[in-house]
Amino acid sequence: MLNRRSFLQTTACAGTMAALLPGYARNAHAAIDQVQFFVPANPGGGWDQTARSMEQAMKSANLIKGAQVTNVGGAGGAVGLPQFVNQWKGRGNALMVAGMVMVGALITNKSPVKVTQTVPIARLTGEFEVIVVPNESPFKTLKDLMAAFKADPAKVSWAGGSAGGTDHILAGMLAKAAGGEAKKVSYVAYSGGGPALAALLGNQVSCGVSGWGEFSEQVKAGKLRALAISADKRQPGLDVPTIKEAGFDVELYNWRGVFAPPGIKDADKKALIELVTRMRDSAPWQEQLKTREWTDVFLAGDAYGKYLEAEITRIEGILKDLGLA
Amino acid sequence: MDRLRKPEACLALGVIALGLLALYETTQIPVSPMYAQVGPTAVAYLASALLIGLGALLLVQSVSGRWVSDPEESATEFDLRGLGWLLLGLVLNVGLIDPLGFIPASLLLFACTARAFGSRRPVRDVLIGLALSAIAYFGFAELLGINIGAGLLGIGE
Amino acid sequence: METLDLLANGFAVALQPMNLLWALVGVTLGTAIGVLPGLGPALTIALLLPITFSVPPTAAFILFAGIYYGAMYGGSTTSILLNTPGESATIVTALEGNKMAKKGRAASALATAAIGSFVAGTIGTLGLTFVAPPLVEFALKFGPADYFSLMVVAFVAVSAVLGSSTLRGLTALSFGILLGLVGIDLQTGQARFTFGLPELLDGINVIVVAVGLFAVGETLYLAARPKTGASVIKLQGRAWMTKEDWQRSWKPWLRGSFLGFPFGALPAGGAEVPTFVSYFLEKKLSKKPEEFGHGAIEGVAGPEAANNASAAGVLVPMLALGLPTSATAAIMLSAFQSYGINPGPLLLQNQPELVWGLIASLYVGNVMLLVLNLPLAGLWAKILTIPAPWLYSGILVFATIGTYGISQSWIDLVLLYLIGGVGYLMRRFDFPTAPAVIGMILGPFAEQEFRRAMTISAGDMTTFVTRPLSLTLLIIAVLLLVVPLLLRLRTRKAR
Repeated sequence: MLNRRSFLQTTACAGTMAALLPGYARNAHAAIDQVQFFVPANPGGGWDQTARSMEQAMKSANLIKGAQVTNVGGAGGAVGLPQFVNQWKGRGNALMVAGMVMVGALITNKSPVKVTQTVPIARLTGEFEVIVVPNESPFKTLKDLMAAFKADPAKVSWAGGSAGGTDHILAGMLAKAAGGEAKKVSYVAYSGGGPALAALLGNQVSCGVSGWGEFSEQVKAGKLRALAISADKRQPGLDVPTIKEAGFDVELYNWRGVFAPPGIKDADKKALIELVTRMRDSAPWQEQLKTREWTDVFLAGDAYGKYLEAEITRIEGILKDLGLA
Repeated sequence: MDRLRKPEACLALGVIALGLLALYETTQIPVSPMYAQVGPTAVAYLASALLIGLGALLLVQSVSGRWVSDPEESATEFDLRGLGWLLLGLVLNVGLIDPLGFIPASLLLFACTARAFGSRRPVRDVLIGLALSAIAYFGFAELLGINIGAGLLGIGE
Repeated sequence: METLDLLANGFAVALQPMNLLWALVGVTLGTAIGVLPGLGPALTIALLLPITFSVPPTAAFILFAGIYYGAMYGGSTTSILLNTPGESATIVTALEGNKMAKKGRAASALATAAIGSFVAGTIGTLGLTFVAPPLVEFALKFGPADYFSLMVVAFVAVSAVLGSSTLRGLTALSFGILLGLVGIDLQTGQARFTFGLPELLDGINVIVVAVGLFAVGETLYLAARPKTGASVIKLQGRAWMTKEDWQRSWKPWLRGSFLGFPFGALPAGGAEVPTFVSYFLEKKLSKKPEEFGHGAIEGVAGPEAANNASAAGVLVPMLALGLPTSATAAIMLSAFQSYGINPGPLLLQNQPELVWGLIASLYVGNVMLLVLNLPLAGLWAKILTIPAPWLYSGILVFATIGTYGISQSWIDLVLLYLIGGVGYLMRRFDFPTAPAVIGMILGPFAEQEFRRAMTISAGDMTTFVTRPLSLTLLIIAVLLLVVPLLLRLRTRKAR
């Protein structure tokens, strides 16, 4: 797909076809005509879905003519980022889709390339996490669970995604907020939501931590019990308390956002921020948010840059507590 | 049969060396103070130890001449030129696929390999290589949309 | 019966002309992708995800299911003909299948693979139709300790591929286990054996290793030998299975199916392990075990059936509970989400038309694949009559496409060729290559489950014998090791 599209573009630009392409001349004044998305993950994952939804929304809202998605997957984005920073330098129409997972992965892998080397454009979506227990579990509230953890951390096993990821970070934050030690968490890492869910449904582990979307259907079907969510406030239509309500000062969003490569002109940065802002306000994007159950946490430009720096410090701290940084 | 088998002994030493390298690398894995009952190094140590131990047994076999393998194997000649052409093809392919793209890199690999297998008509080999890589490129990259490297001389990048 | 009514409705959906067309496109595309080493159905479906913006859900899922089943067929074709496994589940097929092809019996090998896949695919789909809920119920009882014991059984099965020297076989196995450790450790997030290369952080792709050891290694080995004129393989017999082939194939097909399906339904079962176990089983049960390693048809029929049945099994937890237990299933679930359909335990109730249409299309796809592949078997077999210079050049180009296509990184190509060099040495010194690949798959699997079990039990080793499932599996492993030894001892005494 990637290649065919780009191949056609090259042919079109070089050949006489250019004049025949509708709107090729008409839109010449628009700041950005073609967007190149860089996804530091394999096709199918959350970042890839975000990029493709953005492409779809931007096209339907007539903000751009076309887009191209390049995937360079591996190690939570640690493989792709150096390529984006070095080889994509100065491309004024490029956007990398990444998020909190990359911030954590760069720290645990001791990557020499930092996300701060890019130009933060906007934070787009967020997903809160949920702590669940199997139906048969004796724990009725988060307080019960954390009390058991404090009594004997070895007896409470936590299922979630890979070590050092969002789920592990939340487990560590909770342990600390409950007055325990983060590195005492008996964390059982699974390679994806499916196997972790199977362990929970089979009552193999004490509790599970993951993005709300991974567990929501099982909770709605009454197969798992949700103890608390990591959102800042109660969610409409969802009878689950926040972690704060349950008595622990923890809040966490697995956010995703877009970044531009280093070395772009100020005008390009402005144009990109404007493009993403207009996309965010468009009806097609709002519709995508609804079908995919993504929370809108839009934050653009310098405010996003500041947030990013604070987030890096926060995550680095908790990864140190976990013994991973 | 009571004689040292030199190539086999070298191989056994190679296995031991690999085991030692793995052992050294294992000591470099940071063990986090995290609450994990079995750390990341346990199986790494096991695999290193297995390789060292099995390599030592292989060495004993080769020295004592108890290594039973195909007798005609050691007797056959070694076609250095054939292997050389093939290695050239592999090196060219790795070196050229990024700068020049899939089709040139593949057709050179094809021609060199054909030469390694005794073909004496390089022009014909290059043409067949070109046809094959072009078909593969347009079939997989253009029709199915799989990125297998840029096409002819890097267009499409 | 209610299920039959629902299935009939499903067929009414799947047999609509447009949906038949989507299924045909899917199985053809899947077969094409399956032949490429390394590019599997998961990546293909992921690349096609944007299609969900423009076609109705039923059509998209029929297309995806076709790709999924088709890839399994395509993978075995290249395993048999070129010794380059297209999918990790068809690695075992290459062991006997390619030996058969070398003897000029490629058409028979392809035919037994195609018919076996059809039989297994149909049995698997029947299982999916009728026993999915109770099977999931049972599969969820497996905890990390039980999976570890299951892997112990699988390790015993490796003995079937150790070859003439146990010592060399075990060395190959250990090498594979070492390769499997490369990358970030899931449980602690630490990098192992990556030598500072970010490309190695996610580990080495097992297909790169299999193709390197099997195909590239063999090409290097042959290139380094003196060329003795024309070495073209002569095709033997008719392009079809003989009466003896049928007699030797039908039982392995059935055994493979009944082994593969429940394995696939296990949330962490996978499609590779049942193929090893099936190979082991067929070798033990065969009347001609000495033919194994030289082109035994049972060694193609059994594992092929096992891999296709497990492909159907993988859909059991996905459709019954919304559990994505394989990469392909995970991508298919994200396709559900882009339609705003929430895959979960209620999927079957909320979307009966979609789910049953999908299941019915699996039956249809299976028939299509058989019809497409059987006549092609004779044609494919002719590929082997290509003169050696072009055949091996073609194999290398082909291996390159797949490897480079996974990551577009030349580092992967270097890795492929280096592993090819190891494969050359292994052939030259008569080391079996299969244990290395199997070790690479089983090693990390066993390690992760062992460590999960240890974390859950807080370091108590008795967890492996106090859990009934785990204990049963360990006893089976011991019996598999001891019984053949005892039998041999008894026959020796009898003499």
